Amino acid sequence: MKKLCAIFSLAAASVALAVEVPTITISKSDKLSIAVNGLSGEVAKVLENDLAMSGYFKITPPGASGFLVSGSGGGTLNGKVEDHGGKTVLSKSFSGSARSQAHQFADEIVETLTGARGIANTRVAFVATKTGKKEIYLADADGAGVTELTHDGNISVAPCLSPDGRSLAYTGYKSGYPDVYEINLASGARNRIIKFPGTNSGAAYSPDGGKIALTLSKDGNPELYVTSASGGGARRLTRTPGVESSPTWSPDGGEIIYSSDDRGTPQLYRISASGGSGQLISTGHGYNTEPNWSPDGKRVAFNVREGGGFAVAILELASGQTRLVGDGQDPAWGADSRHLIFASGGALILLDAQTGQKTTLVSGLGKISEPTWSR
Amino acid sequence: MVPLTFKKMHLSRPLRTACIATLALSLSSCASWKKGGSGSGGDYGGSDSDSVNGTALPDRQEGVSFLGENVDRNKFSPVHFGYDSFSVSGDERGKIREVAEFMRSSEKSIIIAGFTDERGTPEYNRGLGERRAQAVRSALISAGADGSRLQTVSFGAELPVDSSSGDSAWAKNRRAEFGVVR
Repeated sequence: MKKLCAIFSLAAASVALAVEVPTITISKSDKLSIAVNGLSGEVAKVLENDLAMSGYFKITPPGASGFLVSGSGGGTLNGKVEDHGGKTVLSKSFSGSARSQAHQFADEIVETLTGARGIANTRVAFVATKTGKKEIYLADADGAGVTELTHDGNISVAPCLSPDGRSLAYTGYKSGYPDVYEINLASGARNRIIKFPGTNSGAAYSPDGGKIALTLSKDGNPELYVTSASGGGARRLTRTPGVESSPTWSPDGGEIIYSSDDRGTPQLYRISASGGSGQLISTGHGYNTEPNWSPDGKRVAFNVREGGGFAVAILELASGQTRLVGDGQDPAWGADSRHLIFASGGALILLDAQTGQKTTLVSGLGKISEPTWSR
Repeated sequence: MVPLTFKKMHLSRPLRTACIATLALSLSSCASWKKGGSGSGGDYGGSDSDSVNGTALPDRQEGVSFLGENVDRNKFSPVHFGYDSFSVSGDERGKIREVAEFMRSSEKSIIIAGFTDERGTPEYNRGLGERRAQAVRSALISAGADGSRLQTVSFGAELPVDSSSGDSAWAKNRRAEFGVVR
């Protein structure tokens, strides 16, 4: 298994060197062949979909595959993965609902065979206009199990799932002003946690879930602030005459990338989470908003204006190269730093940024916008 | 489109007043006062508690909000803005004067609500709407209005006046409205 990971990263490194592009494109033939045998019903269906969605696997019939997944159901799923030679490389039990068991097993398989983080056992949230008002919705990362989380009949926007997926912060206009609310997803309890005068919006949880970065206007201008996860102790980060918005944290929580129109049009900047100077990040585009930093720290997805609409762009921080990956708004990285979700054409789209493959995760809820993804 | 240098200009109040008063608002002469552009505002110094870009907002009045029943939203004309700009243009100054005059002769409070057109991504639009409301608030304070009776709120691209797409609708939607608390 370790050897596999090593081969994988070696291949990645050599490809990257050869073409001087920091990302590699895995063609279909590079996918690991895997078969699911002995599982049936929802668990098998969800598991196969999760494995295919991960981007690392090609589902094949048993016998023709490099890896064989099997398991026995009941209350608990006892999952097993064997390699081509019949050697057991993974054996583990999973509890919870059938869907949850399948998601957990899928992530375990991805992590064991590729070394990458899985995205199956995570949740997405987004804004949708199904009721005629903007409300927050929650779903599994595969788009199943959509539930309406807010019923405010007002304006509920800018959701942010905590990295552990246990709570969700959003901007709600229930008081008539944009305030930040926090929902405990297990209990359903909701608290208004940030309610300064003016506008309170765009809450972004730090990777450890301990802090929130957001835009506040209480001091006379929209600026970035950092608060505790419960909204206390607001500390100001930026100090410009322009508009600062959409903070996103580095994996270690030490830095923040955000959008500011301090130079006329919105550009990306990078600042220490403890304050200091914001450094301009050049992207080659005139309009740069809604950045989202990948969990591995290597790239930033954001919006650029393109042909009258918006495109999703990915900036590789090491090389400074930017590429466009499709029409859409408000990109958010998954735990694997490989997949992105964004809103496009009123639907929630999943993009495999390595292969370019796009999948519609959720549609038919009016207009979907501002997705967020737990890690 | 408003020149960006103008939009970005940030002057201390006496300097700004001087510039406006002389009507010698030469961009080149004022440009040296604009923010250096590092995005940090490092040249401001000061502590966390200051408010270098404006004056701090007063506490909200409990139970009072822009869309509430106790707010008159039709007393004054909205201030309109250029595309992606939060600069209050000369054409709109008359509206500011009218509101400032009202505030000087009245004890009432006003909530300024900032809005954007539909072009722009959601969170940036919320920030831009707030910046427009704050620009109007600063202009009112400069014109003698009491800042402690001026609250702001941003709705971003929500609640458009004209929900169609096109230059005419967008121009109407880029605005700051005045809500007079009864």
